[in-house]
Amino acid sequence: MMAVFEKSERLRHIGHLDIQRTMQRALRRSGLPVKYSQGFNPHILVTFASALSTGAIGRREIMDVTMAEDVTPEAFVSAMNGALPPDMQISCAKTMDDRHPSLTSMLYAAEFEIRIMDEDAAQRMIASLDSFMAQEQIITLRKSKSGMKEVDMKPLVYSVQGEGATLRAVLSQAEGSSCKPDMLVNALCAFLSMDTPRVIVTRSMLMGQDEGRMVPLETL
Amino acid sequence: MISEKIEAMLEKVQKAPRYTGGEMNTAVKSWDEAELRFAFCFPDTYEVGMSHLGMKILYAAINAQPWSLCERVCMPWVDMMALMQEENVPLFSLESRHPINEFDVVGFTLQYEMSYTNVLAMLKMGNIPLRREDRREEDPIVVAGGPCAFNPEPLADFIDAFMVGDGEEQIVELNAVIRDARKDGLSRQELLKKLASVRGVYVPALYDVTYHEDGTIASFAPNCPEAPEKVLKAILTDLDSVIYPKEIPVPYTEIIHDRIMLEIMRGCTRGCRFCAAGMLYRPVRERSLEHLVELACSLEKSTGYEEISLSSLSSGDYTCLAELIRELLKRMQGKHVAISLPSLRLDSVLKESLEATQQERKTSLTFAPEAGTQRLRDVINKGITEADLMEKASDAFAGGWSSVKLYFMMGLPTETYEDLDGIADLARKVVGAYFAVPKGQRAKGLRVTCSASVFVPKPFTPFQWEPQDTLEEVQRKQLHLRDALRQVKGANFNYHESGLSFMEACFARGDRRMGQVLLRAFEKGCMLDGWNEHFKYDTWLEAFDECGVDPAFYAYRRREKDEILPWDFIDSGVTKEFLWREKQKADNAQTTKDCRQGCNGCGLQRFKGVCKFCG
Ligand code: SF4
Repeated sequence: MMAVFEKSERLRHIGHLDIQRTMQRALRRSGLPVKYSQGFNPHILVTFASALSTGAIGRREIMDVTMAEDVTPEAFVSAMNGALPPDMQISCAKTMDDRHPSLTSMLYAAEFEIRIMDEDAAQRMIASLDSFMAQEQIITLRKSKSGMKEVDMKPLVYSVQGEGATLRAVLSQAEGSSCKPDMLVNALCAFLSMDTPRVIVTRSMLMGQDEGRMVPLETL
Repeated sequence: MISEKIEAMLEKVQKAPRYTGGEMNTAVKSWDEAELRFAFCFPDTYEVGMSHLGMKILYAAINAQPWSLCERVCMPWVDMMALMQEENVPLFSLESRHPINEFDVVGFTLQYEMSYTNVLAMLKMGNIPLRREDRREEDPIVVAGGPCAFNPEPLADFIDAFMVGDGEEQIVELNAVIRDARKDGLSRQELLKKLASVRGVYVPALYDVTYHEDGTIASFAPNCPEAPEKVLKAILTDLDSVIYPKEIPVPYTEIIHDRIMLEIMRGCTRGCRFCAAGMLYRPVRERSLEHLVELACSLEKSTGYEEISLSSLSSGDYTCLAELIRELLKRMQGKHVAISLPSLRLDSVLKESLEATQQERKTSLTFAPEAGTQRLRDVINKGITEADLMEKASDAFAGGWSSVKLYFMMGLPTETYEDLDGIADLARKVVGAYFAVPKGQRAKGLRVTCSASVFVPKPFTPFQWEPQDTLEEVQRKQLHLRDALRQVKGANFNYHESGLSFMEACFARGDRRMGQVLLRAFEKGCMLDGWNEHFKYDTWLEAFDECGVDPAFYAYRRREKDEILPWDFIDSGVTKEFLWREKQKADNAQTTKDCRQGCNGCGLQRFKGVCKFCG
C-alpha cells in the first residue's frame, strides 16, 4: 500500500528515525493486517520514498507498507488516521502491485518551498535568481562517502522561482545525485556574497518520471 | 507570538523533540472551556519525566474530569534554558505552549531530593515568585506531591500546598477546591485554609516551628483551626476502582523507559529497613488479574508499544503472577509484544515463554544483595541469602550469561570493614560459579560488576535516626573495597560521587531551615544536580556556609528517640513506635518477617479494611 502523509510544522524537528518509529507504532495501533519481517527482531515492512531532513516540513511524504491481506485504500486511510497523531495524517493511499519497483528508485525530484525568514535577504536573493541560474556551472561542495566533493549542481536544479519571500524549487532527488535545498540556498548566498539567512524548508511534493514528464510520485 | 519564537529556538537546540509536544494520546482539551488548568511539572528532562508512571496516571486523572485540563511541563536542558532567557520566553507547557503562570495550579512531582533546585529553576523560568510569601493573588497555586513530599519541610518556603500519599483522587479533590474558591472569589489565604481540609494535604503557611538552642525542633503546630495537627496521607484501598490510563502519551523521541508500564500492585510487604518506598507505599494493594489484562490490552492497542513491563516495588510477589503472565502471553500472541518483569522468581517454563517474547536478550543479569554479609543483610532485613544468590548466579552462567551486576550499599548502620570484605567474598564466589561451568558450555567474557552506592538514611524508615557515614569515612571505605575487589579476577568496582549523597542526606531529613540553603545554592548557579556534569559540590558547601547552616547537623547526627523530627506531623500510615521497634531489632541483627506471613503491626492495621494482610 502506498500512502501519502504529512509531517506538519510542529513535527519538523522530529528526525527520520523517530518518524519511522512513530509510523511503526501507528501501524500497530491501526490494527491493519500488516506484514512483519522474519528473524529475531521482527518489524513491520514499511519503506519511505525518501528521508526528510530534520527541520523540514513535509506536505506529501510517501511510504510503502507491505500488507498481509488485502485492504482497501479507504479502509487503510481511515484506520491509520485514527492511529496517527493529528500532526501526521494520511491524505490518500493506493494499492500497489507487490512487485512494483522500490519507491527510492522511482523517486526523481521533489518540489520545495524555501521560506526565507529575513525580508531583505529574500528580496536580494529573489532578484538575482536569473543571473544566478544564468551561470554556466554552479560549483558547490557536497558531502559524499569519501569526504567533501565538488559538484556542479546546476543540472540538479530543474526550476527555481521567487514568490513573496519564498523560493519555489524543483530539485533532483534521484539516488546518488540529489540536491538538498540548503545547497541551493548556500550557493545562492555565496554567489551574492551574503550571509545565509534563516530558512524554513517545506518539501511539498515528491515526483517521479512518466514518459519524460515529472509527475507526482503517488500517481505512478 | 511565543510559538514563533519557540519554533526558531528549536532550530538551535539539541534534541528538539523534547519540546515539540503533540505526541500521540496527548490531551487536546480546550483551554478556554476548562474551569481549572493544571500544569504538571516534572523537575527533570523530558526523557526522565516521560518515563515516569505517576505523571501519566495523574495526567489521565485530571484530564478525565470534564472541567479540568492538565498539560505537561519538563525541565528544559541548559541550551534551551539559555535561549529562553535570551529571547524572553517563559517556561511553557508542551501541549498548548501556554506560559506556566497562566495556569491555575502548577504542580511538581518530587521523586528525588536533588531535583529541588530544578523546582526553583522552573518557577523562575515561569515568572512565578519563588517564595510562597511573595506570590500575589493572580499567581498560580504551587503544589507538590510524590515520595519526597513525605518530608516536605525543605521546600516549605516555596510550595503553597503539598499532597501526601496516593494522588489519583486527592488531586481531583484539590483541583475542585481551587476551582470553587476561584469561583467564589476567595483570597489566596482563604483558599489555602480550605485546601488544608483535603485529605493528605499539608499547607506550610498554616504551621509554625520553634527550635531549641541546640538546633533541634522545640515545637511544630498549626497556627489556625483549619489546619489538622497531623496530616494523614491519602490512602486508596482498591486500585481497581481508581483511574488507570488506557491511553498514555507515546513520545516521538526515545525516552528512558519507552514501553507500557503496568503497575500491578502498589506497596511491598518485605520490609527492607533502608527502603523508604517500602514504608511509604504501604499497604500492599494488588490490582485484580482481570483488570490488569484489560488494561494491558487497551494500552497495547492505544500505544502500539512493543513491550509491556509489569512494574511495582517487587513484582515477583504479586499473588497471581504466573496466571497473569500466562493470560497476557495468550492475549498478546501474534502481536509481537515483549512482556518483561524486573525480577524473575518464576518456574522455568514460564521464564522461557517470557524470554521468548523478548526480542533482544538482556545482556546482563542484576542482583541486589545490598550488603556483603548475612549479619548486615539481617540488620537491613533484606531477605536474600548467599545460597539464593549463588543458585541464581549458577543458573545464569549455565544458561549462557556471562555478565552479572551486583548492587550494594555502603555505610549502612552497624557496617564494619568485615562487611565490606564480605562484598569482595561474594564477588569471588560469583566468579567461582562461572568457572564451575565447564569451559565449552559457558559464555565467554566474564564480567562481575559490583556497584556500591552511599547509604542515605531516609524519613519514615527505621534508619531515620541514624547518622550517615562522613565523607572521609566513605572515601576510606571506597578505597578499601576497591583494593579488596582488585584481588578478585573478573570483578570490577563502580562507585559514585559521594558529595551528592551527602547533599541528598541533608535534604532527605532536612527541616524548614534548609529552604534558605536551597535558595542560596540556586542563586549561586546550582541546578540539574542529578546530572553529574552539573553537580557543583563546592558551591553547595558555600551556600551552607553563607546561610550559617551546618550540613553535618542534618547528615551526620544521631537523633534521640524522643526528638521531634521535621516530618513527625505527617502520618505516613506507619507509626513511629513501629519504626523504633524495627530500629532496635536492626541493632540486634534480628529480622522481621514478610507481611504475607503475618502482620507485624506497622500501624496500617489502625485503618479497617486497608491492609489485606492484617487481621
Ligand atoms: S498492617 Fe501489618 S500486614 Fe499490613 S503492612 Fe502493616 S505490618 Fe504488614
